[in-house]
Amino acid sequence: MDVLQAADDLRRRSLVNYPRPLDRLIYLASMRDYNTGVYYHDGLASRYSPEVACEAMADCHKEAFRQLVANSLEEVVEQLEAYMASTHTSPGDFVAAWKGLEPYRVAVPVESDPLAAQFLFSTFKVALAILESRLHLPPAALSA
Amino acid sequence: MIQLILFLSIGVALLVSVGFLMRPHRRAEGGSTALVQARQALSTLQGGLLPAELVARVFDRTDLDYVESQGSPELRKLFLDERTRVALLWVSRVREQLLSLREFHAGSARFYAQLNPLTELSLLFDFSRLLLACRILQVFVYVRGPYAAPQIVGATAAVAAKVCSVSQESLAFLTPAYAAAGANRAARTARF
Repeated sequence: MDVLQAADDLRRRSLVNYPRPLDRLIYLASMRDYNTGVYYHDGLASRYSPEVACEAMADCHKEAFRQLVANSLEEVVEQLEAYMASTHTSPGDFVAAWKGLEPYRVAVPVESDPLAAQFLFSTFKVALAILESRLHLPPAALSA
Repeated sequence: MIQLILFLSIGVALLVSVGFLMRPHRRAEGGSTALVQARQALSTLQGGLLPAELVARVFDRTDLDYVESQGSPELRKLFLDERTRVALLWVSRVREQLLSLREFHAGSARFYAQLNPLTELSLLFDFSRLLLACRILQVFVYVRGPYAAPQIVGATAAVAAKVCSVSQESLAFLTPAYAAAGANRAARTARF
Protein backbone atom coordinates (compact mmCIF):
# COMPACT_ATOMS: atom_id res chain seq x y z
CA MET A 1 0.00 0.00 0.00
CA ASP A 2 2.84 2.38 0.95
CA VAL A 3 4.60 1.61 -2.32
CA LEU A 4 1.48 2.48 -4.32
CA GLN A 5 1.12 5.74 -2.41
CA ALA A 6 4.80 6.56 -2.87
CA ALA A 7 4.58 5.82 -6.60
CA ASP A 8 1.54 8.07 -6.87
CA ASP A 9 3.36 10.77 -4.93
CA LEU A 10 6.34 10.45 -7.26
CA ARG A 11 4.11 10.76 -10.32
CA ARG A 12 2.38 13.87 -8.96
CA ARG A 13 5.44 15.72 -7.63
CA SER A 14 8.44 14.71 -9.75
CA LEU A 15 7.37 12.86 -12.87
CA VAL A 16 4.84 15.54 -13.76
CA ASN A 17 7.86 17.53 -14.96
CA TYR A 18 8.68 14.76 -17.43
CA PRO A 19 5.64 14.32 -19.63
CA ARG A 20 7.23 11.98 -22.16
CA PRO A 21 8.05 8.31 -21.39
CA LEU A 22 11.61 8.76 -22.73
CA ASP A 23 12.28 11.66 -20.35
CA ARG A 24 10.85 9.69 -17.43
CA LEU A 25 12.92 6.62 -18.34
CA ILE A 26 16.15 8.63 -18.40
CA TYR A 27 15.29 10.58 -15.24
CA LEU A 28 14.47 7.42 -13.28
CA ALA A 29 17.54 5.58 -14.59
CA SER A 30 19.66 8.52 -13.42
CA MET A 31 18.28 8.08 -9.89
CA ARG A 32 19.59 4.51 -9.77
CA ASP A 33 23.01 3.61 -8.41
CA TYR A 34 24.96 1.85 -11.18
CA ASN A 35 26.75 -0.38 -8.70
CA THR A 36 23.86 -1.54 -6.58
CA GLY A 37 20.78 -0.99 -8.75
CA VAL A 38 19.14 0.84 -5.82
CA TYR A 39 17.12 3.99 -6.54
CA TYR A 40 17.61 7.08 -4.37
CA HIS A 41 15.20 9.97 -3.92
CA ASP A 42 15.74 12.02 -0.77
CA GLY A 43 12.31 13.65 -0.68
CA LEU A 44 10.43 10.41 -1.27
CA ALA A 45 12.63 8.48 1.17
CA SER A 46 12.01 11.05 3.90
CA ARG A 47 8.24 10.92 3.39
CA TYR A 48 8.10 7.11 3.29
CA SER A 49 11.26 5.03 3.76
CA PRO A 50 14.30 4.41 1.56
CA GLU A 51 13.04 0.89 0.76
CA VAL A 52 9.52 2.04 -0.15
CA ALA A 53 10.91 4.94 -2.20
CA CYS A 54 13.21 2.54 -4.06
CA GLU A 55 10.39 0.14 -4.86
CA ALA A 56 8.08 2.94 -5.97
CA MET A 57 10.75 4.33 -8.29
CA ALA A 58 11.44 0.87 -9.70
CA ASP A 59 7.71 0.49 -10.45
CA CYS A 60 7.56 3.88 -12.18
CA HIS A 61 10.70 3.02 -14.13
CA LYS A 62 9.11 -0.20 -15.40
CA GLU A 63 5.97 1.73 -16.29
CA ALA A 64 7.95 4.29 -18.32
CA PHE A 65 9.79 1.44 -20.07
CA ARG A 66 6.52 -0.31 -20.99
CA GLN A 67 5.04 2.95 -22.30
CA LEU A 68 8.10 3.65 -24.43
CA VAL A 69 8.13 0.13 -25.87
CA ALA A 70 4.45 0.57 -26.78
CA ASN A 71 5.18 3.81 -28.69
CA SER A 72 5.53 3.75 -32.46
CA LEU A 73 8.84 4.51 -34.14
CA GLU A 74 7.51 7.91 -35.16
CA GLU A 75 6.64 8.73 -31.54
CA VAL A 76 10.09 7.61 -30.36
CA VAL A 77 11.73 9.83 -32.98
CA GLU A 78 9.62 12.79 -31.79
CA GLN A 79 10.48 12.10 -28.16
CA LEU A 80 14.15 11.76 -28.94
CA GLU A 81 14.08 15.03 -30.86
CA ALA A 82 12.33 16.79 -27.96
CA TYR A 83 14.75 15.29 -25.45
CA MET A 84 17.69 16.39 -27.61
CA ALA A 85 16.32 19.95 -27.69
CA SER A 86 15.89 19.93 -23.89
CA THR A 87 19.58 19.07 -23.36
CA HIS A 88 20.72 22.22 -25.25
CA THR A 89 23.42 20.12 -26.94
CA SER A 90 24.13 20.58 -30.63
CA PRO A 91 22.15 17.95 -32.58
CA GLY A 92 25.32 16.66 -34.27
CA ASP A 93 27.09 16.11 -30.94
CA PHE A 94 24.00 14.57 -29.39
CA VAL A 95 23.49 12.05 -32.20
CA ALA A 96 27.22 11.21 -32.28
CA ALA A 97 27.29 10.64 -28.51
CA TRP A 98 24.14 8.55 -28.46
CA LYS A 99 25.31 6.46 -31.42
CA GLY A 100 28.73 5.92 -29.89
CA LEU A 101 27.93 5.47 -26.22
CA GLU A 102 24.43 3.99 -26.58
CA PRO A 103 23.37 5.39 -23.17
CA TYR A 104 19.89 3.93 -23.61
CA ARG A 105 21.35 0.49 -22.89
CA VAL A 106 21.84 1.39 -19.23
CA ALA A 107 18.53 3.25 -18.98
CA VAL A 108 16.26 0.19 -18.93
CA PRO A 109 14.93 -1.34 -15.70
CA VAL A 110 16.84 -4.34 -14.38
CA GLU A 111 14.03 -6.83 -14.68
CA SER A 112 12.86 -5.81 -18.14
CA ASP A 113 12.25 -8.62 -20.57
CA PRO A 114 15.34 -9.10 -22.79
CA LEU A 115 13.26 -9.13 -25.97
CA ALA A 116 11.45 -5.89 -25.11
CA ALA A 117 14.82 -4.32 -24.25
CA GLN A 118 16.33 -5.50 -27.55
CA PHE A 119 13.31 -4.14 -29.39
CA LEU A 120 13.73 -0.75 -27.72
CA PHE A 121 17.48 -0.61 -28.44
CA SER A 122 16.76 -1.45 -32.05
CA THR A 123 14.10 1.29 -32.21
CA PHE A 124 16.59 3.81 -30.78
CA LYS A 125 19.18 2.78 -33.34
CA VAL A 126 16.77 3.45 -36.22
CA ALA A 127 15.43 6.64 -34.58
CA LEU A 128 18.99 8.00 -34.26
CA ALA A 129 19.68 7.13 -37.89
CA ILE A 130 16.54 9.06 -38.88
CA LEU A 131 17.64 12.09 -36.83
CA GLU A 132 21.11 11.87 -38.32
CA SER A 133 19.75 11.73 -41.86
CA ARG A 134 17.74 14.89 -41.12
CA LEU A 135 20.88 16.68 -39.96
CA HIS A 136 22.48 16.04 -43.32
CA LEU A 137 19.55 17.33 -45.33
CA PRO A 138 19.76 20.80 -46.85
CA PRO A 139 17.78 23.43 -44.83
CA ALA A 140 15.18 23.74 -47.60
CA ALA A 141 14.32 20.06 -47.36
CA LEU A 142 14.09 20.27 -43.55
CA SER A 143 11.63 23.15 -43.61
CA ALA A 144 9.49 21.39 -46.23
CA MET B 1 27.15 -77.45 -7.02
CA ILE B 2 23.46 -76.74 -6.74
CA GLN B 3 24.08 -75.03 -3.40
CA LEU B 4 26.81 -72.85 -4.96
CA ILE B 5 24.47 -71.80 -7.78
CA LEU B 6 21.75 -71.07 -5.23
CA PHE B 7 24.06 -68.92 -3.08
CA LEU B 8 25.37 -67.14 -6.16
CA SER B 9 21.82 -66.47 -7.35
CA ILE B 10 20.86 -65.12 -3.95
CA GLY B 11 24.00 -62.94 -3.93
CA VAL B 12 23.21 -61.55 -7.41
CA ALA B 13 19.59 -60.96 -6.42
CA LEU B 14 20.72 -59.09 -3.32
CA LEU B 15 23.16 -56.97 -5.33
CA VAL B 16 20.46 -56.15 -7.89
CA SER B 17 18.05 -55.23 -5.08
CA VAL B 18 20.61 -52.98 -3.40
CA GLY B 19 21.40 -51.38 -6.76
CA PHE B 20 17.70 -50.83 -7.43
CA LEU B 21 17.12 -49.28 -4.01
CA MET B 22 20.17 -47.01 -4.27
CA ARG B 23 19.46 -45.73 -7.80
CA PRO B 24 18.92 -41.96 -8.06
CA HIS B 25 15.23 -41.13 -7.86
CA ARG B 26 14.59 -39.39 -11.14
CA ARG B 27 11.31 -37.82 -10.14
CA ALA B 28 12.63 -36.36 -6.91
CA GLU B 29 15.89 -35.14 -8.44
CA GLY B 30 14.75 -33.84 -11.77
CA GLY B 31 11.21 -32.95 -10.73
CA SER B 32 11.97 -29.70 -8.97
CA THR B 33 14.27 -28.54 -11.77
CA ALA B 34 11.65 -29.38 -14.38
CA LEU B 35 9.03 -27.53 -12.37
CA VAL B 36 11.18 -24.43 -11.97
CA GLN B 37 12.09 -24.45 -15.67
CA ALA B 38 8.48 -24.91 -16.70
CA ARG B 39 7.39 -22.10 -14.38
CA GLN B 40 10.09 -19.81 -15.81
CA ALA B 41 9.20 -20.70 -19.39
CA LEU B 42 5.54 -19.99 -18.70
CA SER B 43 6.27 -16.67 -17.06
CA THR B 44 8.62 -15.63 -19.91
CA LEU B 45 6.02 -16.54 -22.50
CA GLN B 46 3.08 -14.90 -20.76
CA GLY B 47 4.87 -11.86 -19.40
CA GLY B 48 7.60 -11.21 -21.94
CA LEU B 49 6.94 -12.76 -25.33
CA LEU B 50 3.23 -13.16 -25.92
CA PRO B 51 1.64 -9.92 -24.69
CA ALA B 52 -0.42 -8.69 -27.64
CA GLU B 53 1.05 -5.15 -27.47
CA LEU B 54 4.61 -6.40 -27.85
CA VAL B 55 3.79 -8.80 -30.69
CA ALA B 56 1.85 -6.01 -32.41
CA ARG B 57 4.76 -3.58 -32.01
CA VAL B 58 7.42 -5.98 -33.31
CA PHE B 59 5.37 -6.81 -36.41
CA ASP B 60 3.75 -3.38 -36.82
CA ARG B 61 3.79 -2.26 -40.44
CA THR B 62 3.09 1.39 -39.68
CA ASP B 63 6.72 1.74 -38.56
CA LEU B 64 7.81 0.62 -42.03
CA ASP B 65 5.41 3.12 -43.63
CA TYR B 66 6.94 5.85 -41.47
CA VAL B 67 10.49 4.88 -42.44
CA GLU B 68 9.53 4.74 -46.12
CA SER B 69 8.08 8.24 -45.83
CA GLN B 70 11.61 9.45 -44.97
CA GLY B 71 12.60 8.62 -48.57
CA SER B 72 15.96 7.03 -47.81
CA PRO B 73 16.78 3.52 -49.06
CA GLU B 74 19.58 3.24 -46.48
CA LEU B 75 17.18 3.97 -43.65
CA ARG B 76 14.72 1.47 -45.04
CA LYS B 77 17.40 -1.21 -45.21
CA LEU B 78 18.62 -0.46 -41.69
CA PHE B 79 15.07 -0.60 -40.35
CA LEU B 80 14.24 -3.89 -42.12
CA ASP B 81 17.52 -5.46 -40.96
CA GLU B 82 16.84 -4.42 -37.38
CA ARG B 83 13.21 -5.54 -37.39
CA THR B 84 14.14 -8.86 -39.00
CA ARG B 85 16.72 -9.43 -36.28
CA VAL B 86 14.20 -8.68 -33.50
CA ALA B 87 11.47 -10.77 -35.18
CA LEU B 88 13.84 -13.75 -35.48
CA LEU B 89 14.83 -13.29 -31.86
CA TRP B 90 11.14 -13.32 -30.89
CA VAL B 91 10.45 -16.54 -32.82
CA SER B 92 13.53 -18.31 -31.49
CA ARG B 93 12.76 -17.33 -27.89
CA VAL B 94 9.13 -18.44 -28.22
CA ARG B 95 10.32 -21.76 -29.64
CA GLU B 96 12.90 -22.19 -26.92
CA GLN B 97 10.35 -21.60 -24.14
CA LEU B 98 7.80 -23.87 -25.83
CA LEU B 99 10.40 -26.66 -25.98
CA SER B 100 11.02 -26.23 -22.28
CA LEU B 101 7.29 -26.42 -21.52
CA ARG B 102 6.83 -29.43 -23.79
CA GLU B 103 9.64 -31.20 -21.98
CA PHE B 104 7.82 -30.65 -18.71
CA HIS B 105 4.52 -31.95 -20.09
CA ALA B 106 6.10 -34.93 -21.80
CA GLY B 107 8.09 -35.79 -18.70
CA SER B 108 7.10 -34.95 -15.18
CA ALA B 109 3.80 -33.08 -15.58
CA ARG B 110 1.72 -36.21 -14.98
CA PHE B 111 3.30 -36.64 -11.55
CA TYR B 112 1.98 -33.28 -10.43
CA ALA B 113 -0.87 -32.21 -12.65
CA GLN B 114 -4.12 -34.06 -13.01
CA LEU B 115 -4.72 -33.47 -16.68
CA ASN B 116 -6.95 -35.96 -18.41
CA PRO B 117 -5.30 -38.01 -21.18
CA LEU B 118 -7.28 -36.24 -23.90
CA THR B 119 -6.09 -32.82 -22.72
CA GLU B 120 -2.52 -34.14 -22.57
CA LEU B 121 -2.80 -35.49 -26.12
CA SER B 122 -4.30 -32.27 -27.41
CA LEU B 123 -1.56 -30.32 -25.65
CA LEU B 124 1.18 -32.41 -27.23
CA PHE B 125 -0.49 -31.95 -30.64
CA ASP B 126 -0.58 -28.17 -30.05
CA PHE B 127 3.09 -28.17 -29.07
CA SER B 128 4.04 -29.99 -32.28
CA ARG B 129 1.92 -27.60 -34.34
CA LEU B 130 3.48 -24.58 -32.64
CA LEU B 131 7.05 -25.77 -33.01
CA LEU B 132 6.44 -26.41 -36.69
CA ALA B 133 4.82 -22.97 -37.08
CA CYS B 134 7.86 -21.38 -35.41
CA ARG B 135 10.21 -23.11 -37.86
CA ILE B 136 8.12 -22.00 -40.84
CA LEU B 137 7.97 -18.47 -39.44
CA GLN B 138 11.75 -18.40 -38.97
CA VAL B 139 12.24 -19.31 -42.63
CA PHE B 140 9.67 -16.73 -43.82
CA VAL B 141 11.12 -13.92 -41.69
CA TYR B 142 14.69 -14.79 -42.63
CA VAL B 143 13.95 -14.91 -46.35
CA ARG B 144 11.25 -12.27 -46.75
CA GLY B 145 11.46 -10.03 -43.69
CA PRO B 146 9.28 -9.42 -40.63
CA TYR B 147 6.08 -8.66 -42.53
CA ALA B 148 6.08 -11.81 -44.65
CA ALA B 149 3.61 -13.91 -42.68
CA PRO B 150 1.36 -11.88 -40.36
CA GLN B 151 -1.23 -14.70 -40.25
CA ILE B 152 1.32 -17.21 -38.97
CA VAL B 153 2.47 -14.70 -36.34
CA GLY B 154 -1.10 -14.15 -35.14
CA ALA B 155 -1.97 -17.85 -35.15
CA THR B 156 1.27 -18.80 -33.38
CA ALA B 157 0.74 -16.21 -30.65
CA ALA B 158 -2.90 -17.29 -30.19
CA VAL B 159 -2.18 -21.05 -29.97
CA ALA B 160 0.83 -20.41 -27.73
CA ALA B 161 -1.37 -18.35 -25.39
CA LYS B 162 -3.90 -21.23 -25.28
CA VAL B 163 -1.15 -23.76 -24.53
CA CYS B 164 0.16 -21.45 -21.80
CA SER B 165 -3.21 -21.27 -20.11
CA VAL B 166 -3.45 -25.10 -20.02
CA SER B 167 0.11 -25.27 -18.70
CA GLN B 168 -0.73 -22.65 -16.12
CA GLU B 169 -3.53 -24.86 -14.81
CA SER B 170 -1.15 -27.77 -14.48
CA LEU B 171 1.34 -25.58 -12.61
CA ALA B 172 -1.30 -23.84 -10.50
CA PHE B 173 -0.35 -25.86 -7.43
CA LEU B 174 2.88 -23.83 -7.28
CA THR B 175 1.11 -20.51 -6.76
CA PRO B 176 0.60 -19.21 -3.19
CA ALA B 177 -3.15 -18.75 -3.76
CA TYR B 178 -3.54 -22.39 -4.75
CA ALA B 179 -1.43 -23.50 -1.80
CA ALA B 180 -3.60 -21.40 0.53
CA ALA B 181 -6.75 -22.89 -1.00
CA GLY B 182 -5.25 -26.34 -0.53
CA ALA B 183 -4.50 -25.58 3.12
CA ASN B 184 -8.09 -24.37 3.61
CA ARG B 185 -9.43 -27.54 2.01
CA ALA B 186 -7.20 -29.63 4.28
CA ALA B 187 -8.34 -27.68 7.34
CA ARG B 188 -12.01 -28.15 6.41
CA THR B 189 -11.46 -31.87 5.86
CA ALA B 190 -9.72 -32.17 9.22
CA ARG B 191 -12.57 -30.35 10.98
CA PHE B 192 -15.34 -32.65 9.68
